[in-house]
Amino acid sequence: MSEYLGQVRAIVWKDLILEFRTRERVAAMGAFAVLAAVLFNYAIDRTAVRPQTIASGLIWMTIVFGGLLGIGRTFHLEHEDGALQGVLMTSAPKDAIFLGKTLANFLLLYLVAIIVVAVFTLFFGLDLGPRLDLLAAVIALGALGFVALGTLFSAVSSGTRMGETLLPILVFPLLLPMVVYGTQATGRILAARPAAEVTANLRMLTAFALVAMATGAGLFRYVVEE
Amino acid sequence: MSLRGLRLTGTTLAAVGLLLMLTVYGLSFFWVPTEVAQGVIQRIFYVHVPAAWVAFMAFGLVALTSAMYLWLRDERLDRAALSAAEGGMVFATVVITTGPLWARVAWGTYWTWEPRLTLTLLLWFVYLGYFLVRGSAENPERGKRFAAVVGIVGALDIPLIHLSVLWFRSLHPKPVVAKPEGPTLPAPMLITLLLGLLAFTLVFLGLFLLRYTLQTLRDAADARDRRATV
Amino acid sequence: MSTAPSAAPAAPPRTAEAVLEAVDIVRVFGAVVAVGGIDLALSEGSFLTIFGPNGAGKTSLLRVLAGGLRPTRGEVRIRGKKLDFGDGEWRRRIGVLSHQGFLYGHLTVEENLRFYGTLFGLTDLSERVPMRLEEVGLADRAAFEVRQLSHGMRQRVALARALLHDPDVVLLDEPYTGLDPYAAAVLRNVLVALKDGRRTVVMVTHNLTEGLNLADRVAIQVAGRIAWEGTRSELVVDSFERFYHRVVEEAP
Repeated sequence: MSEYLGQVRAIVWKDLILEFRTRERVAAMGAFAVLAAVLFNYAIDRTAVRPQTIASGLIWMTIVFGGLLGIGRTFHLEHEDGALQGVLMTSAPKDAIFLGKTLANFLLLYLVAIIVVAVFTLFFGLDLGPRLDLLAAVIALGALGFVALGTLFSAVSSGTRMGETLLPILVFPLLLPMVVYGTQATGRILAARPAAEVTANLRMLTAFALVAMATGAGLFRYVVEE
Repeated sequence: MSLRGLRLTGTTLAAVGLLLMLTVYGLSFFWVPTEVAQGVIQRIFYVHVPAAWVAFMAFGLVALTSAMYLWLRDERLDRAALSAAEGGMVFATVVITTGPLWARVAWGTYWTWEPRLTLTLLLWFVYLGYFLVRGSAENPERGKRFAAVVGIVGALDIPLIHLSVLWFRSLHPKPVVAKPEGPTLPAPMLITLLLGLLAFTLVFLGLFLLRYTLQTLRDAADARDRRATV
Repeated sequence: MSTAPSAAPAAPPRTAEAVLEAVDIVRVFGAVVAVGGIDLALSEGSFLTIFGPNGAGKTSLLRVLAGGLRPTRGEVRIRGKKLDFGDGEWRRRIGVLSHQGFLYGHLTVEENLRFYGTLFGLTDLSERVPMRLEEVGLADRAAFEVRQLSHGMRQRVALARALLHDPDVVLLDEPYTGLDPYAAAVLRNVLVALKDGRRTVVMVTHNLTEGLNLADRVAIQVAGRIAWEGTRSELVVDSFERFYHRVVEEAP
């Protein structure tokens, strides 16, 4: 077990260090977050709708689009020197490799989510409400499911000629549960609703995340096989 | 069963199904009473609902054969998944085209975000994903596995999507409740619907078998070409 | 004295203690038959060099032997046990050096080795990594990012990576390609050291001299099949080149 965890940790660490040194993905995702917020500001008619009312939806969609940008590149560096092949030929189990990559993506995405929330709060004068911990949990659970699906299908799309352009088509239909439960929970938290109104959503987000991770871990080996 | 046998069975099933379908059309126009609220357009129900049933059943078949394909690696299972996916996508297309037509005439708008229709639309896109990964994979063998994964993940997620769409809907009730059928189905409607379900299922199964045999022949021809170049 | 190429490839000796066996390996990519039915059996301590023109499917064969590519048909066995190409302990026993390198350019040499070492479940990396780097003469470059190294140095790191976990089966795909003389000498020394009797090595190379010197078994692969196989003693170096060309030309 500790060997397994060590392998997962090694992959997470490796991906984070690579990201830190190349800054490929975080820069793209972070810039996207800010620019999207700017565009949204000009896309919304403030006389017709208060940004606060739709902030939750905008935040989640920005996270999704921006996140997909980064997730699409998950296996990019691995392909450059055939490193993925090398990793697959080690005795590390395929599901450990998947979990490592997913967790690394999760950490990156969570960072981007924080940036998105911060930017939207700044630009639209949002009041994040008293339950920041709940908000953090909602975003974490939603992001986890999203990242699991994204990582699995990123491996798929990197084996196709269409590449990253395929990712939204594959991921978006399946993302609906996250969008529904995530935006609703976030909206309620921003509206300072009692925590009890969010528990059902948290439950569903957890279920979604678990199903996505379990499925990804189980099917990853069939995707990476040559 | 031999390939010939499959083709024969497929043709028979499809033919019977089509005849039954014509019967259902006849019944739906001349036998079944007109629904009070929606008028004549409601009769599209006998096409729309059976098509939806087949679209989802077909996808279940895709997921099942895909899972078994990944496990057993038998090419026949992959061919079955492909055939089911093609058929299923056709019927899903029927659903998402008849749906808006129905909605427009019955309720005035093309799209009402009706949960089941939305689910079918998303299912259609999962089908699309199935074919896109299959076709654009750099290595055809991997393409089959990619498609199988899409099928399996799709099938696992569909129930969750369904729940979330219903949940969303329950909190955003529409002024017009778009119910495809009335509170309870009177006997003629029920019978026609069931016949419709049977008809569409038979047609699907027939097409499925025919597509399967076609794919088997294609693969055999490819294998012969390969051997010739070795 | 060289023997004329036999009409059919010589049947490999099937010893009871075959460490690495390939049984009727076929690998197809779409319409292309990369490997069209190859059998191999290697006993412990043997060193097989595979020669062959480009496109003969040597890399595909090696990848199958390494457990990185599932064959369309056929089996690979390690010490009698069939490889299932999924996960398994058996992966610890195989080391692969590919012309691809398998290294992350933005990680340092040491980080790369430690990463792979952890994936292999090794715990004594603090001792092991410096030792391997010493072996390939790169102990002083441990903190360099791989992308800053020359090709020859990179291949040496890749070699250290391939041998890090002390595998008993070592597979090398064109290791001499693009190496400067120093790196080639390092490689040669390491390969000679591998012939310690307990390791089984398969090397694919275009370098006729080096490949022949190290080998005790030789095979020539043409168009996905083994056109000739035999022991080193059946060949003579200075006429090997002619022999090789003859085999390649006459292959069906």
